[in-house]
Amino acid sequence: MESDAPIVVVKDIEKRFGNYVAVSDFNLDLKQREFFSLLGPSGCGKTTALRMIAGFQQPSKGEIFIDGAPMRDVPANLRPTNMVFQSYAIFPHLNVADNVGFGLRKKGLSRQEIDQQVREALEMVELPNLGTRKADELSGGQRQRVALARALVMRPKVLLLDEPLSALDKKLRETMQLELRRLQQSVGITFVMVTHDQYEAMTMSDRIGVMFQGKLAQVDTPKRLYSAPLNREVASFVGSMNFLKTSLRAEAADVLRVEADGVGPMAVKRNPYGIESGHEPLVGIRPEQLEIGTAQPSGYDVAVKGKVTNVAFYGESIHYYVGIDGQDEPCAVAVTNYFHTVDHQVGDDVWIGFQNSSVIDLGKYQETGSPGF
Amino acid sequence: MTRLQHLRPGLGSYAAAYLAFLYLPVLFLPVFSFNAGTIVAFPLTGFTFQWYEKLAEADALLGALGNSLIVGLATAVISTAIGLFAARAFARHSFFGRGPAEGLVMLPLVIPGIIVASSMLVLFINMGLQPSLLTIIAGHVFLALPFAVSILKSSFDQFDGSLEEAAYDLGETVVGTFRRVTLPVVAPGIVSSFLVTFTVSFDEFVLAFFLAGNEPTLPVYIWSQIRFPAKLPNTLALGTLLILGSILLLLAAEYFRRRAERSSASR
Amino acid sequence: MAISLRSDSAKGYALSMPAVVYVGFLVAVPLALMVAHSFWTQDYIDINRELTLENYRQAVDDPLIRLLLIRSVVIAGLVTGLTVLLAYPIAYFIAFKTQKKALWLILVTIPFWSSYLLRVFAWKLILGYNGVLNSGLLTVGLIDEPLSFILYNPNAVVLTLAHAWAPFAILPIYVSLQKIDPSLLEAATDLGNTAIERFLRVTLPLSIPGVIAASLIIFIPTVGDYVTPALVGGADGKMIANLIQVQFGAANDWPMGATLSIMAILVVAFVAAVFVISLRSAGRRIR
Repeated sequence: MESDAPIVVVKDIEKRFGNYVAVSDFNLDLKQREFFSLLGPSGCGKTTALRMIAGFQQPSKGEIFIDGAPMRDVPANLRPTNMVFQSYAIFPHLNVADNVGFGLRKKGLSRQEIDQQVREALEMVELPNLGTRKADELSGGQRQRVALARALVMRPKVLLLDEPLSALDKKLRETMQLELRRLQQSVGITFVMVTHDQYEAMTMSDRIGVMFQGKLAQVDTPKRLYSAPLNREVASFVGSMNFLKTSLRAEAADVLRVEADGVGPMAVKRNPYGIESGHEPLVGIRPEQLEIGTAQPSGYDVAVKGKVTNVAFYGESIHYYVGIDGQDEPCAVAVTNYFHTVDHQVGDDVWIGFQNSSVIDLGKYQETGSPGF
Repeated sequence: MTRLQHLRPGLGSYAAAYLAFLYLPVLFLPVFSFNAGTIVAFPLTGFTFQWYEKLAEADALLGALGNSLIVGLATAVISTAIGLFAARAFARHSFFGRGPAEGLVMLPLVIPGIIVASSMLVLFINMGLQPSLLTIIAGHVFLALPFAVSILKSSFDQFDGSLEEAAYDLGETVVGTFRRVTLPVVAPGIVSSFLVTFTVSFDEFVLAFFLAGNEPTLPVYIWSQIRFPAKLPNTLALGTLLILGSILLLLAAEYFRRRAERSSASR
Repeated sequence: MAISLRSDSAKGYALSMPAVVYVGFLVAVPLALMVAHSFWTQDYIDINRELTLENYRQAVDDPLIRLLLIRSVVIAGLVTGLTVLLAYPIAYFIAFKTQKKALWLILVTIPFWSSYLLRVFAWKLILGYNGVLNSGLLTVGLIDEPLSFILYNPNAVVLTLAHAWAPFAILPIYVSLQKIDPSLLEAATDLGNTAIERFLRVTLPLSIPGVIAASLIIFIPTVGDYVTPALVGGADGKMIANLIQVQFGAANDWPMGATLSIMAILVVAFVAAVFVISLRSAGRRIR
């Protein structure tokens, strides 16, 4: 149990509903005590994947192992997993304590033991003295905590969370993000969370699996996912990204020398996933990796002249959209809003500069239906 | 909103007049049931309880009442039980032909009573069943099922399916989940369905009239009494009690239906 | 247990089976028997199972049967029209003009739950020659002798049935009005419609499904109503159901009874279909 063996192994899973393929080629190892998020747009199959681990849906193909044991013939009620539902599913006919103790009653514990564990669980989620409260008298945040306590009190090997924060308002959501993370670290259980919110996934997770159309596109730490996305889809779903179509000039073992219209030559570190670049590699630069100024910036590997086409004010930051001759899409530049920074107006001539190390190789350029950002 | 009502006196007073139209005819039964005279006409001739007292002496009436209770209870139990399963299937499961199946179960609501009654008579006689309480129950379950299914379906519709998954996820068995979660949450709907189907059966006349044989239910008994002017005051007293009973049952059903709505509304 | 989760539709079939089979059996088999009977004939106390159209020929030729069928449809049509017309404003009132929706809904449903038989009986007492209405008016001095046109005729049947079916008209119309998104009404006003135009162009067309449902729920059972014409209809107010009952009762001619039932079903289905189609197309023409 305390070895480094993965707690969950998902092997070659496929799930079909009739002719519709919800999940395919799904392989995933979950580590002990990690906070893992399945991130993707709605309809990408992330909830289906979670529900297959829980046992509410059977894979059409493949096998799921939890703590080494195959789960094919283990129904949901006998699996060492518990779930926090999107709607929280608080039993309306029971009070808080009976909700939390619901599963314990099946474990053959004495009344005192159940009461004790329920009390501890409620303290853990910071809802002490709320045991006799009725389900319909709880606020959204309290319901979420009850759902958490009810699942954690079962001491599952894996806790599954289906969009656990989507029903909460923004302020509460941010508080709960930190608290969920703290809770996960203190109980030391593997958490698997499904979410469509990239910021939520990045704030809370040790690792994130990004899913598109039923397939896992990339599994990595938030930092790596952000700095080294595998392809254009991942790059644009996680954070925002400027995309440049380039021409290959020369290639070395780990560096590509490319040139983009209107931008000039760049030296780009080869994509660490070893994807093919072709003659027209696509590269990306995060908006905050760009410097903007009225004079030509010094000390940058690349400097380009352009014209401000749009300005978006976000409070803590300002985004300038800079049109560059030779590029169809304007380049987004994010600037931290220090109060002493110079404002640029639409129509201003500006310079933007960046380092070669900020440029990300995204593989062969492919026509896609949607723009980069 | 009240101000709006003042702005539109037309609609408000129309609604009041409509209610009077709905209630007044029925209110004449209680009024004349306390009238000393045997003729149902104005002016009233005095106040009396004697018609109610006489009810207790009518053996045939008590027999019919007993029959109606048996038929009503059996109908309520059977149609609520069958309806519970069907409602769950219609609310929770998607299967080929669900729409038509639901339509079929609702069909008894719109078949003219005389057609149901006569065709069931033909069916039961051809099956070798003589008219009896049993055949009435069979017919009443048919008529009451649409009510049971629609009441129970709305209880299931309002109840979040992940509650059952949560129970199952917490280690309950399928049967345990039904007992500890489904049943308690749907319970008010079940009570409501039970009361409504009982009332449907208790008040039903035409089918019972065709299928009663020599075991009349209460409405069939009343029908036989309506023809005798001398028995009119008795019938009025009986009718008053029945209307009162029906209204109490309906209010109880409504109370439980609302409790169902409140308890299953998960925010 | 895993199976129960695996096959959603198998579970659906299993659970709905008892109800579907029960109702299906009690619709299909009696109907088949009725159809069969309608092609047989009554031969004194036995049934002659030779297939023949004799019953239908007799029924079509018999002016009394034709009259009863037509009268049943006309009365049911009048009842439907009257009930829907009277009920629409109430449904509108409950949906839009009062905060106490639940109370009003209960108030209009309660009378339905008192025995139908007793409600019809109450009307008989009210409308009778020496009844409540006549004696009341006489006592007050508004009339000198009892009114005789109010009981034992089709008017009495229409009035009684319209009273009996009122809740059935209110509820479906209310439901369809309730579903209308208030912003649609605001949009209509915003686009320059007066209150009346808004009602005619938005509210009314959107409530047509409720009107159709209400009409069918009233019309279909009313065509075959037995109690009301028997109690308040007199000789001129009898309907087809009364004749059907006689065939299954005193006349003991089941084949003829079955024939009349089948004819009633066909007439009801035809009229209902024509009604639904024409009302739907009328609804579509409103722009």
